[in-house]
Amino acid sequence: MAAGEKIKAKIKKNLPVRGPQAPTIKELMRWYCLNTNTHGCRRIVVSRGRLRRLLWILFTLTAVALIFWQCALLISSFYTVSVSIKVHFQKLDFPAVTICNINPYRYSAVRDLLADLEQETRGTLKTLYGFSEITSRKRREAESWSSAREGTGSTFLNLVPLLAFEKGETSKATDFRTGRKRKVSGRIIHKSSDVMHVHESKEVVGFQLCSNDTSSCAVYTFSSGVNAIQEWYKLHYMNIMAQVSPEKKINMSYSAEELLVTCFFDGESCDARNFTRFHHPMYGNCYTFNKGENETILSTSMGGSEYGLQVILYINEEEYNPFLVSSTGAKVIVHRQDEYPFIEDVGTEIETAMATSIGMHLTESFKLSEPYSRCTEDWSDVLIKNIYNATYSLQICLHSCFQAKMVEKCGCAQFNQPLPQGVNYCNYQQHPNWMYCYYELHQDFVREELGCQSMCKEACSFKEWTLTTSLAQWPSEVSEKWLLSVLTWDQGQIKKKLNKTDLAKLLIFYKDLNQRSIVESPANSIEMLLSNIGGQLGLWMSCSIVCVIEIIEVFFIDSLSIVARHQWHKAKEWWARRQASTCPEAPPSPQGQDNLGLDVDDDLPTFTSALCLPPAPGGQVPGTPPPRYNTLRLDRTFSRQLTDTEVPAES
Amino acid sequence: MHIKKYLLKCLHRLQKGPGYTYKELLVWYCDNTNTHGPKRIICEGPKKKAMWFVLTLLFTSLVCWQWGVFIRTYLSWEVSVSLSIGFKAMDFPAVTICNTSPFQYSKVKHLLKDLDELMEAVLERILGPELSHVNATRALNLTIWNHMPLVFINEQNPHHPVVLDLFEDNYNGSASSSPAPGRTCSAHECKVAMRLCSHNGTMCNFRNFSSATQAVTEWYTLQATNIFAQVPNQELVAMGYPAERLILACLFGAEPCNYRNFTPIFDPDYGNCYIFNWGMTEKALPSANPGAEFGLKLILDMGQEDYVPFLTSTAGARLMLHEQMSYPFIKEEGIFAMSGMETSIGVLVDKLERKGEPYSQCTVNGSDVPIRNLYSDYNTTYSIQACIRSCFQDHMIHNCSCGHYLYPLPRGEKYCNNQEFPDWAYCYSALRMSLAQRETCIDVCKESCNDTQYKMTISMAVWPSEASEDWIFHVLSQERDQSTNITLNRKGIIKLNIYFQEYNYRTIEESAANNIVWLLSNLGGQFGFWMGGSVLCLIEFGEIIIDFVWITIIRLVALAKSLRQRRTRARYDGPPPTVAELVEAHTNFGFQPDTATHGPDARPHPHEQTPPIPGTPPPNYDSLRLQPLDVIESDNEGDAI
Repeated sequence: MAAGEKIKAKIKKNLPVRGPQAPTIKELMRWYCLNTNTHGCRRIVVSRGRLRRLLWILFTLTAVALIFWQCALLISSFYTVSVSIKVHFQKLDFPAVTICNINPYRYSAVRDLLADLEQETRGTLKTLYGFSEITSRKRREAESWSSAREGTGSTFLNLVPLLAFEKGETSKATDFRTGRKRKVSGRIIHKSSDVMHVHESKEVVGFQLCSNDTSSCAVYTFSSGVNAIQEWYKLHYMNIMAQVSPEKKINMSYSAEELLVTCFFDGESCDARNFTRFHHPMYGNCYTFNKGENETILSTSMGGSEYGLQVILYINEEEYNPFLVSSTGAKVIVHRQDEYPFIEDVGTEIETAMATSIGMHLTESFKLSEPYSRCTEDWSDVLIKNIYNATYSLQICLHSCFQAKMVEKCGCAQFNQPLPQGVNYCNYQQHPNWMYCYYELHQDFVREELGCQSMCKEACSFKEWTLTTSLAQWPSEVSEKWLLSVLTWDQGQIKKKLNKTDLAKLLIFYKDLNQRSIVESPANSIEMLLSNIGGQLGLWMSCSIVCVIEIIEVFFIDSLSIVARHQWHKAKEWWARRQASTCPEAPPSPQGQDNLGLDVDDDLPTFTSALCLPPAPGGQVPGTPPPRYNTLRLDRTFSRQLTDTEVPAES
Repeated sequence: MHIKKYLLKCLHRLQKGPGYTYKELLVWYCDNTNTHGPKRIICEGPKKKAMWFVLTLLFTSLVCWQWGVFIRTYLSWEVSVSLSIGFKAMDFPAVTICNTSPFQYSKVKHLLKDLDELMEAVLERILGPELSHVNATRALNLTIWNHMPLVFINEQNPHHPVVLDLFEDNYNGSASSSPAPGRTCSAHECKVAMRLCSHNGTMCNFRNFSSATQAVTEWYTLQATNIFAQVPNQELVAMGYPAERLILACLFGAEPCNYRNFTPIFDPDYGNCYIFNWGMTEKALPSANPGAEFGLKLILDMGQEDYVPFLTSTAGARLMLHEQMSYPFIKEEGIFAMSGMETSIGVLVDKLERKGEPYSQCTVNGSDVPIRNLYSDYNTTYSIQACIRSCFQDHMIHNCSCGHYLYPLPRGEKYCNNQEFPDWAYCYSALRMSLAQRETCIDVCKESCNDTQYKMTISMAVWPSEASEDWIFHVLSQERDQSTNITLNRKGIIKLNIYFQEYNYRTIEESAANNIVWLLSNLGGQFGFWMGGSVLCLIEFGEIIIDFVWITIIRLVALAKSLRQRRTRARYDGPPPTVAELVEAHTNFGFQPDTATHGPDARPHPHEQTPPIPGTPPPNYDSLRLQPLDVIESDNEGDAI
């Protein structure tokens, strides 16, 4: 106890408790208004007349409200971006250019694999449309060859039957294989679109896909037989190709030497060695120029077609698969070196017997990531596993997501996309009903029910090449003769003379070396925000952070302590009264020691300090000392009389 | 005397600061300043005083730091960009049209005769050499050949490549010149290369090609360049396609136009080119409506039969949209239009307007670029392409002492040709391949501040249709050649529609992101936020600093004075100064605070301190001042008035 007293005394000595500036809340408010740095408050106190005072109260409150409103606006608009567009004229990195033949594999090489399928397709065409034989085709030998194998079982139609539906009755369909009508159960899904039903057509063609236990089936119908047959062919084609080893597929496709007849970049010759092979499931071997394989990325320091890439491609139309692809040419895509070329989704098609000139303009965009916008720099904050060996892009994410769902739901991977680890491509030996599963999943994907679209974010920075494509006839009439013969010599491997429809010329170049960069930058920095808030505070009330501290001090700490003291005092009195009432002989509590009010009173600031008068260094003036209000105040408790005495002193 | 008095008065008045000591001054400042922090320092208890002192210091440093940030941001000259998209009546772009073949073959045949024969022989030699046939039938002009011969390089043995001249049997470079089979090479074994020599054939370079097509094309182009470089310009123009042959029909909006509305310009790559609406002599034509009906419609005939066979392999028209008064760099920025087709081009004007220095590195008219603009002869505006080409030509003249045929010639220089400059091809191809040259040019040339691009949406359709073909060809042939025979065909005819899209402009305009108003408002905001201060507070502070300096000066003067006095006193060793003397000293230095005189005196000469001041002590100003402030203030005011 003694030790405690000691410590208490010590603390009291070292840390004299300074109370609030005034004994009551009202006093405190008054004191605050008179001494605060903010404008307005003082006016309330010093104004004479009720109306004026009221007006000033109103003004002050309005100002406070305005400040709150404006500051809230400022804070809520903190995460906005400003966009700046910059143009540089500089040496530019040439993008990677991926070139594919539209036809994936040489037909002569894959014919063995696809023979049955082709035959059945032809059979279907014959039964459905009365299409008998190809008369004007170059591929005579294929014809005879396929007809020789007539009569083998129609396995493909068994698996996925092609059906023709009579108009109006969707439950009855003609099976092409048997020619019999049969009942079809299951939902009808119009493949091309759910909205537009083609009513005029006499019959609709489609195929039926069933799930594993053949309990639920879906019929996919197409308005045109062309689409139906191509889609049906593609399904089987994917099945067959999924079972072929990658090495074999690469060998079946075109080699770089075969595809590229000549190559010219930036005024210098290049050849097949400058191209990197990249195997695409639907486009076969594609070749990427300037892939940056050994860390060297070619760059252009001059604009114009002479300084870009010029290639002549050999597109052998005779080797085209008649059912898989129906157009002739090549596909070109311009992309970043570390980007995966989605040749099936984007890309420019180029025609044969034409010079296609593609002028590029480079635009770079940089977005700000969280919290400014929902974009991502890399894979780190996307939950989907990357199955491509490339940097992040939205497209890659969506495809990876779809493939992951496919593996999850169907147990096998879709042929168009790379293979995740430990999974096989779908084929109907192992997964007999994968197609139904795939179609269902694909429908869900398109309807955004798989959640892929919400899981994948767009990439924060990307380069975009705006292409201006123009065509010209090539080779010209007069130069055709010599050019074709020299090109035949160049090609070397092919023994026959080249035709101009077998060739396509492609020019890809920077139109000029202007690079536009669109950069997002934060519109607000923290110092801007502070200065704007400061501007608002200053404008409405001439307030600053000091005022805020004052307000906290006065309104929270001081008023709380006043209230606490008041309550304590009350409690004390009440206690004393109770003590007195219960045992009147009990000695009164030692006021000087325990009475907090008294205690504090000692430590109350002097009036001078309360009024912010300058401190007098040698405070004691000889002669009559100024009245010590403190001493006056000592003998009474906090009372209204004080106010009376104070007012004249104040004014 | 009068002036001195006046000055003294002034001095008195000036020094009449709010206090006589540093402390008083500070207290006065803290109490009366409008900044929020200092006031609290003096009117609180000791603990809070310390807190407020620290806070004030903290806020002051924060303000200084933030000001630094803002001023640095301001000096970084950032720009903000505004983008506007819409439609407005605008000047129709200038349209340049060229034929891909620079000359009519029928007119240049006599010039190219030797070269063509040589070319044919080369082709025969490469493809399938029937030796007897070549040697027997033609007497080739081997003088052209010898400047730049084509050779076979047999790289089957990579360590010992065999070089074979196409025409000479025994080329000395090849040690093991294999006989007959070596003469015929397939693409697998041999590559065709071009031999470029200088110094009379002593220094030779091989320019390799991966394909024979490129080799012969490049070779032919170089040789043809050499030939055309020696022909005067007027003749070249005459050999190209005349406007009336090329432009068959023209319609701008609803108004007809014809080939006379086109300004001819000679382009070394494409021969005669014709510019519509260049705006050189007349005002540029505006177009106030979007859509094909209000644009330019042209029918052109390329005359494909008359192409120079080895010079161009692509057939069609080359066209380009560009700004008025700007030179068309058609080879770089042009697009093709195909014959037998109608090509529709929707135009969007993409304009970038930049502020010049110090915001971005660009030039308004090219006057501050150290390269002489060779295209200024055409009276065209500055563009970076023009600068880069002028730069290349400068390098060419410097290195090879002759100008390249494809670029304009500075005064007093000559185009390169084999006769006068036998080494030029070697020199040119070395220069062309040199990256250093290009990079210096890119570094030297500045972008121009206003950059206009025309974004085109190109679509094509077959034209004329089978059904209308006959009459269209008939009418057009009749109009051009006044003949009833059809002189046109699908191989040469081109229709062009060029028009504004629905939104025809997109303007990106730069403006200063941070101007002086921005800077001031932010500085004010920061100062206000942390300390509630304004410019007036800064002035207050400056005033206090002046007062401070004054007090210091007064103290220093007093010190000096007292030192001198002490010295004199020491010399005379007189009695200690009386009160009157002290008072005199006070009045002389104007209400010198006694602490000031006593303070410094006290320490060095303590013995002096003890004797003086008999009688009444000097008034203690501090104690007087207790009754306050108001008195002093009123005093100040009274004096100031």
